[in-house]
Amino acid sequence: MLVLTRRANQSIMIGADIVVTVLEVRGDQVRIGIDAPRSVSVHREEVFRELEASNRAAASPSFGALEGLTALRPPKHDSGGGPLP
Amino acid sequence: MTGASASELPELHFASGLPGFPDARRFVLVRLGDELSPFSVLRSLDGEADLEFVVTHPGLFFPDYAPEIDDDTAERLELRSADDALLLVIVTVTNPVDASTANLLGPIVVNRHTRAAAQAVLGASGYNTREALVPSP
Repeated sequence: MLVLTRRANQSIMIGADIVVTVLEVRGDQVRIGIDAPRSVSVHREEVFRELEASNRAAASPSFGALEGLTALRPPKHDSGGGPLP
Repeated sequence: MTGASASELPELHFASGLPGFPDARRFVLVRLGDELSPFSVLRSLDGEADLEFVVTHPGLFFPDYAPEIDDDTAERLELRSADDALLLVIVTVTNPVDASTANLLGPIVVNRHTRAAAQAVLGASGYNTREALVPSP
């Protein structure tokens, strides 16, 4: 891992169009600003990892599991929508 | 699992794939079960063999669910109003099915008109990836 020391209001460039700026350092928290093209998605790592794990757990359920699922119906709600298009 | 032919269905396009499956970009949505079924299958047309996810309309199971889609996702999908968006959530199917959960933290957002799609990430929303479909008794 590349390690750089920066102060508040100093930045790091990643490639030509991603700029990561240290905005504020207070105690054990650091506020960071990120300028990146729209095609680059930026996430808090722990949230992204949680989604990865959830997607992997949900991926390609077995045929047997799906059979039971089709019998499952949502509870009755006044505002419930219709079935999927 | 269904009689529908995937090739006849409109294709959804995930420009950045899904977390954990970055190369899975083209999907079709196929109904799971009869016409009253609240579930559909999101089936990948790309690379990884037989990748599919069960999805549902979150309003059916979680009528109070009101995720705030971030501006970046809305812009990327060119959503101009809330009506442009079709919202789905991925279901983790368990055995028995009563313990199945829905991922409310990362809803799938589809532009109804262009079929551009993405899995949004709701930071600091209080939603989680394992919300029970059927409340425990």
